[in-house]
Amino acid sequence: MAKTKLSDDRDLTEEQRLFRESILDWAERNMPLDRVIKMNREGHPYPKDLIKGLADLGVIMGTVPEERGGMGLTWKDQAVIADVIGYIDPSIATAAGFMAVETGWGFTIDRYANEEIREKYVKPAIRGDKFIGIATTEPGGGSDVSNFKCTAEKDGDEWILNGEKTFISGVEEAKEIGGGYWVNVRTGPKLPEAPHKNMTAFFVPIDSEGLTPTEPYDDAGRNAISTGGFIMEDVRVPDDYMLGEKGKGFYHTMEGFDNARILIGASSVGVTRRLLEEAADYIKEREVFGNPLAKYEAIQFEFVERYTEMEASRLLVEKTAEMQDVRYDEEGWLERSGKAQTYKPTEIAKWISMIKCKVPHLAKDTADDAMHWLGAAGYSSEYIFETAWKGVMSYCVGAEGGANIQKIVIGRETLGRDYVPYK
Amino acid sequence: MRFVVCVKQVPDTTEVEVDPETGTIIREGVPSVLNAFDEFALNQAVDIKEKMEENIEIIAISMGPPQAKEALNKCLAIGADKAVLLTDKVFAGADTWATSLTLARAIKKLGKIDLVFVGQEASDGNTAQVGPEVAAHLGIPQLTFVTSIESIEDQNIICKKETDEGFIKIESPLPSLIACMPTPGFVPKIPNIREIMKAKRKPYEEWDHKKLGGDSSEYGLEGSESVVIKTYSPPPKGKGIKVEDPPEKAVNKLMEYFEKEGIL
Ligand SMILES: Cc1cc2nc3c(=O)[nH]c(=O)nc-3n(C[C@H](O)[C@H](O)[C@H](O)COP(=O)(O)OP(=O)(O)OC[C@H]3O[C@@H](n4cnc5c(N)ncnc54)[C@H](O)[C@@H]3O)c2cc1C
Repeated sequence: MAKTKLSDDRDLTEEQRLFRESILDWAERNMPLDRVIKMNREGHPYPKDLIKGLADLGVIMGTVPEERGGMGLTWKDQAVIADVIGYIDPSIATAAGFMAVETGWGFTIDRYANEEIREKYVKPAIRGDKFIGIATTEPGGGSDVSNFKCTAEKDGDEWILNGEKTFISGVEEAKEIGGGYWVNVRTGPKLPEAPHKNMTAFFVPIDSEGLTPTEPYDDAGRNAISTGGFIMEDVRVPDDYMLGEKGKGFYHTMEGFDNARILIGASSVGVTRRLLEEAADYIKEREVFGNPLAKYEAIQFEFVERYTEMEASRLLVEKTAEMQDVRYDEEGWLERSGKAQTYKPTEIAKWISMIKCKVPHLAKDTADDAMHWLGAAGYSSEYIFETAWKGVMSYCVGAEGGANIQKIVIGRETLGRDYVPYK
Repeated sequence: MRFVVCVKQVPDTTEVEVDPETGTIIREGVPSVLNAFDEFALNQAVDIKEKMEENIEIIAISMGPPQAKEALNKCLAIGADKAVLLTDKVFAGADTWATSLTLARAIKKLGKIDLVFVGQEASDGNTAQVGPEVAAHLGIPQLTFVTSIESIEDQNIICKKETDEGFIKIESPLPSLIACMPTPGFVPKIPNIREIMKAKRKPYEEWDHKKLGGDSSEYGLEGSESVVIKTYSPPPKGKGIKVEDPPEKAVNKLMEYFEKEGIL
């Protein structure tokens, strides 16, 4: 770990402080930075011991209620965990990528799933024995979530699914250890005036008959969790594998995105802090023209800017995590706070979009800056910066939604629906 | 059976720096941790609990300021069943005598105890006196430098103990106090998040001097038999020399050096 320490843990509860201590101790033993760098360089096969290790440590899906195998953690707790996970895995490739995808989507799957799915998939995923994720993106629809072609047709008490999903996290992992996906399909005609209607979500086990995984992508970074896809040809799922309500898939999906995005944001804060600490160690030591690099304003001021943005982001995540806690315990919150009303989901989505739009970019830009500060050393994989840069870039370009799409949400909530550019 | 584990919260020695002007430890901003010797002792107690069929209750106790609760929380997460913090302004400034008296009174208050675990020493004071003194106050046998517990049977404990010559096995009747000495390969348990959350619901109490009984003058600075006049670091030793030649050459070089410095 870096000598420079930038964390401010005064806002943490006693338990959250212990979470942090345990995760840091675990990482020191099992996932030091050089292993993170190596895993990213070597790519697949993904590190199995880590999935199990992270699950044993309890960092996955803590927000799932206790009676269903989780720990009933608050979103604030889970955000603290995500932050430390980003700190130990600044590539967001291994631990952080996993934690966010599994927790954000696992929690949402658990919320809308029947008992069988909870027992067969969610609980084992919490234990690290299965992988569950989201499959919404298609060749023709990424940002444009409503522009999807996969279909489901009812046949007795089953649904028959067809179509292709692309750029899906964790397909190789799910193939190997078992699991399944939240899959969005069309259960009615595409309505030109409301293309998001008639979207329905199903839980589809990865080993379903008729489901064929496609070749994994050779991504720039984030290499220790796979990105792949699958084709569905007459895949049959039971009626009660529908997640949530028929035709409401778009809204349920947006809720899932919120849950994953906030954790990506929290992880990105941890990533940024780690990168700044590692860079600080270097610029305080390395002398050029008779002074340590850190003495030159051109470097010091950039460092300070990033540090300030990091702390601002931490507070943004903290506030938003509190809103998430309200979302999932409205009555409790109303009672405790004595306030008259809770937050609307669209209001919470705005805050989460602000996080998703800014914080992964901050982490990526910090990695970029640090490479400049360190020069050639920063560009080599001896240091974490280039690995981190490639890893967090995945969350800037698209994973869990690109930045521009977040801006559309923020614009809608601030300027009003009349100004939404695309309807 | 019931075990008590005495623990102390200490400044993280890996983060401690010494003020070059005053020679004292800079405590501001230094994180506090569970004393590593005590962590080892607790791990031993938890290991036994996990191995033995008999029902064992582990009670962690600590004397310290209110923030020492954090160290006890960690003990509960690692596997203690209950924790008691002895905290009172009256306890402040205690030397090893007053500390051990306070701990011993608390242990007596806990009722029948079969084993008292302590760390061999604390990494901040390094006196190694508190454990043996607790045993003396309680009137029970003490086993020091214990590296492992071999067995607990028929009201007897057999431990492995480090000595200057190596190791010996030593047997003692229950109740006894064992002062534990971490072995180089020791890997402490990392409590997971589930355990940390469970720990929140375990019983935790804070006791002051009134709860322990006796006069307030017996505790803390007033009850201490020794006085700390000054703490300071020894002056730095200077650079030293390194001889890296083959032995024959190195011997000559060293002899020359010794003569020059007037050592021989
Ligand atoms: C590593 C990785 C993992 C992923 N994992 C998953 C997964 O597990 N499950 C899943 O379903 N998907 C996954 N995705 C896909 C991800 O959801 C999409 O990348 C994302 O939705 C963006 O879609 P797209 O890549 O098709 O880009 P496009 O939709 O083609 O957009 C391209 C660019 O244009 C911008 N843009 C789009 N529309 C507008 C507009 N109206 N105005 C201005 N700018 C716009 C976007 O922000 C983006 O920068 C993953 C992606 C990556 C990179």
